[in-house]
Amino acid sequence: MTYKVQDEVLPHGNVTTVYLDGEIDMDKTEEAKEAIFPHIDAGKEVHLNLSQVQYMDSSGISVLIESHQKAIEKGTKMIVKDVSKSVLKVIMMAKLEQILNLE
Amino acid sequence: MSIETSDLNKISEKKDFLVNSASLKDVRSFSREVFDKLKLNPDLKEELVLAIAEAAQNIVKHAYKDVSTTTDRMVVRISCNEKLLEISFFDKGKPVEKEKIKHRAIDDIKPGGLGTFFIQQIMDSIVFKDGEDPWINNLVLTKKL
Repeated sequence: MTYKVQDEVLPHGNVTTVYLDGEIDMDKTEEAKEAIFPHIDAGKEVHLNLSQVQYMDSSGISVLIESHQKAIEKGTKMIVKDVSKSVLKVIMMAKLEQILNLE
Repeated sequence: MSIETSDLNKISEKKDFLVNSASLKDVRSFSREVFDKLKLNPDLKEELVLAIAEAAQNIVKHAYKDVSTTTDRMVVRISCNEKLLEISFFDKGKPVEKEKIKHRAIDDIKPGGLGTFFIQQIMDSIVFKDGEDPWINNLVLTKKL
């Protein structure tokens, strides 16, 4: 898994977009958290772009849940964007499509 | 990879992996290779790969809980005969406490506890057996294709 981070100024405020890439499994969850959590902890609105994530298992789903809940705790939000078809299937299997902010 | 039998309708292949999280990508690669031989449609193939990876992850996470490093190996065997897919896992970790295996309530949104739920969603049956020597655990997943 690799990632890149991009800060953007949108009409409603500053947004940090985290682009994840590759396969997110138990072996990669710590890297994924390191990519996402600092921005949420800083109170930023985070957009998580998953267009280049081809595979995600239950460990990856746990990172999404934890990030979502952490964002709420911090009074901000995380939006999950451009989800690949394969990852969307897993999100739907976990019945999280109504919980996570998907765009 | 060990090929026991292989033709279009009947296949049995197995491979062993070091028990650690870094092996999970290799478990997925092996599974995809076998399912490609069975010419499964891509959606079904990826669902089955997910179920297998979740089961292998459970071995790393639970059967080897509190074991930071090990040289133990686990075996994954994928067999298909008469359109019945059987996936077996063999490990030498702690004995599975069958009565404790359950996924979290799906509407109780919190991290963790989804792997077994995914396996149940994808497969037709999940059977935990005592492993025959030298194995401690033998998990068998089946699905009619």
